[in-house]
Amino acid sequence: MKVVTGVVGNDIHVVANRLIDLSLQARGYEVFNLGVNTYLEEFFDAVIETGAEVLLISSLNGEAEGWGREVPRLKAKYKKLDDVIMMIGGNLVVGTGNAEDIVPRYKGYGFDIVCHQVDLNTGLDSLEEMLIERKLK
Amino acid sequence: MSQIDSSNNTAKNSQGKLLIDVGSTYFKISNNTDIEQHFRDFNKSILDDLTYKCGNKIEGFDKKDIHICSSANGGLSTLIIGVTQSFSLKFATNIAFNSGINIIDTVLFQNIEEYSVPSDLIDVVIIVGGIDSNPDNFSDSLYRYLENLTYSNVVFVGSELDAPTIKENIKDVVILPNIIDNRLHIVEESLREYLTNLYQQDIEGKEDIKDLYTITDNQIFSTPYVVNKTLPYIHTKYAVVDPFILLDIGGATTDIHYSKDLVDENIVTENEYDRLVFKKLGVYKSKQSLIFAAKANEFVYELLMHLKVTENIFEVQSEKATKILMQLAIFLVLCKMSHYQKGYINLKLLSVNSFVLTGGITKVLTVEEIEDIISFFYKKILNSEHNPATVLDTNYDIWTLSANEIAEGK
Repeated sequence: MKVVTGVVGNDIHVVANRLIDLSLQARGYEVFNLGVNTYLEEFFDAVIETGAEVLLISSLNGEAEGWGREVPRLKAKYKKLDDVIMMIGGNLVVGTGNAEDIVPRYKGYGFDIVCHQVDLNTGLDSLEEMLIERKLK
Repeated sequence: MSQIDSSNNTAKNSQGKLLIDVGSTYFKISNNTDIEQHFRDFNKSILDDLTYKCGNKIEGFDKKDIHICSSANGGLSTLIIGVTQSFSLKFATNIAFNSGINIIDTVLFQNIEEYSVPSDLIDVVIIVGGIDSNPDNFSDSLYRYLENLTYSNVVFVGSELDAPTIKENIKDVVILPNIIDNRLHIVEESLREYLTNLYQQDIEGKEDIKDLYTITDNQIFSTPYVVNKTLPYIHTKYAVVDPFILLDIGGATTDIHYSKDLVDENIVTENEYDRLVFKKLGVYKSKQSLIFAAKANEFVYELLMHLKVTENIFEVQSEKATKILMQLAIFLVLCKMSHYQKGYINLKLLSVNSFVLTGGITKVLTVEEIEDIISFFYKKILNSEHNPATVLDTNYDIWTLSANEIAEGK
């Protein structure tokens, strides 16, 4: 199972990115880590080039909110992304906010799994559940 | 009319190598002691012109001691078909530019049916997409597109799982290792070698250049390739501070070579210096297209005012007009490399410490005149007082160093 991951936008939180990479590998995924400061188009392009089943975007500085709004418009330009599981996690707002507001908003942007300030392992457990649900695992 | 008899090997000079560079407008010739430059006579073949003007000098050397490079050929045209902009198209474009190829167009495969098919003959089509473990990146729409395209060569550098299907469906396709590795990094070597060889064959295939083998036993290389190979050693000739940009503004084209440190793109390669060729940006053969590009630039009229001339200078044939064209060429090239114009690549020009200028421009402009334009560019386009050092390669030392390296087989 291939996963493309990285930190979106102008966000240099490399430690979290590395932890996600290691945790995914420990769970047996083949990881394509684009690192920090990654633009949305690069994420989608990496999924196309690798044939990844999962795209896991992370954000810590809250910039994801702005990028998230761009997802529907950009994703519509691609013809091979419909079956990809889109996941986003980290700190998904600037300042404070609660998950009840944030999760539906990101789902509206097209993400299947949204983890706002959720423990990494809990987030990856929900990915496993979705893979089983979609009979991909 | 040739003045030398190449079969006459008596009393040959044993004083080292004779280096010859054939450009679109000038040729230069260098031995151990001096360097000559001559304007080409376009009514003569290159060989006849060369031997007419420098026959005595050439006669003094054995064929094995004469080394020639040429930038006088038109280069190759390319069409790249890839599956994404950020990886396959970007990587293939980077490799093609570094091989001296001119990009005609790129096609994003998923939209291939929306692209019009170029009517001109394409020298080489490059197909790329997918890491090796990812199959089925292409479909029948690729083959239908290629059926309508006229091309001389086609090369596949994508997923190895797709290679058998591609080979079965595209006649005479050359299959090379993938240029994208399993970590989504670029792998340059095979495609670059293939394209460099095609470029080399193209040079050698030109009748004018073929003739030159009458006077040399050595392979004739392309000048930009030769220069690029030597840039890591430029410090042995000049006090150049990294990172630097080398501009070679000639009669037909402008080549730029730049340190990788100036690139935002995170393409990791083994080369320290990349190269770009701006076709149709020169002051003699490409004069009209240079003027056209200048008129389309909104800052050019301000630049002309700064230089105290009007646009009437474009109609004039004089030394002054040539100087202005050279200054315009510098300005336009800098614009093309900056964020002002979204080009193939934008360089971090505020980080540049030195500009090195070589080619015909060094015979026309002084350091002060060049610095004036560079400073105008930084102020107007980048709103900066940044002031990189300017180095003028007036005696073609960079080319001589490069040609010597090649002659020594390095």
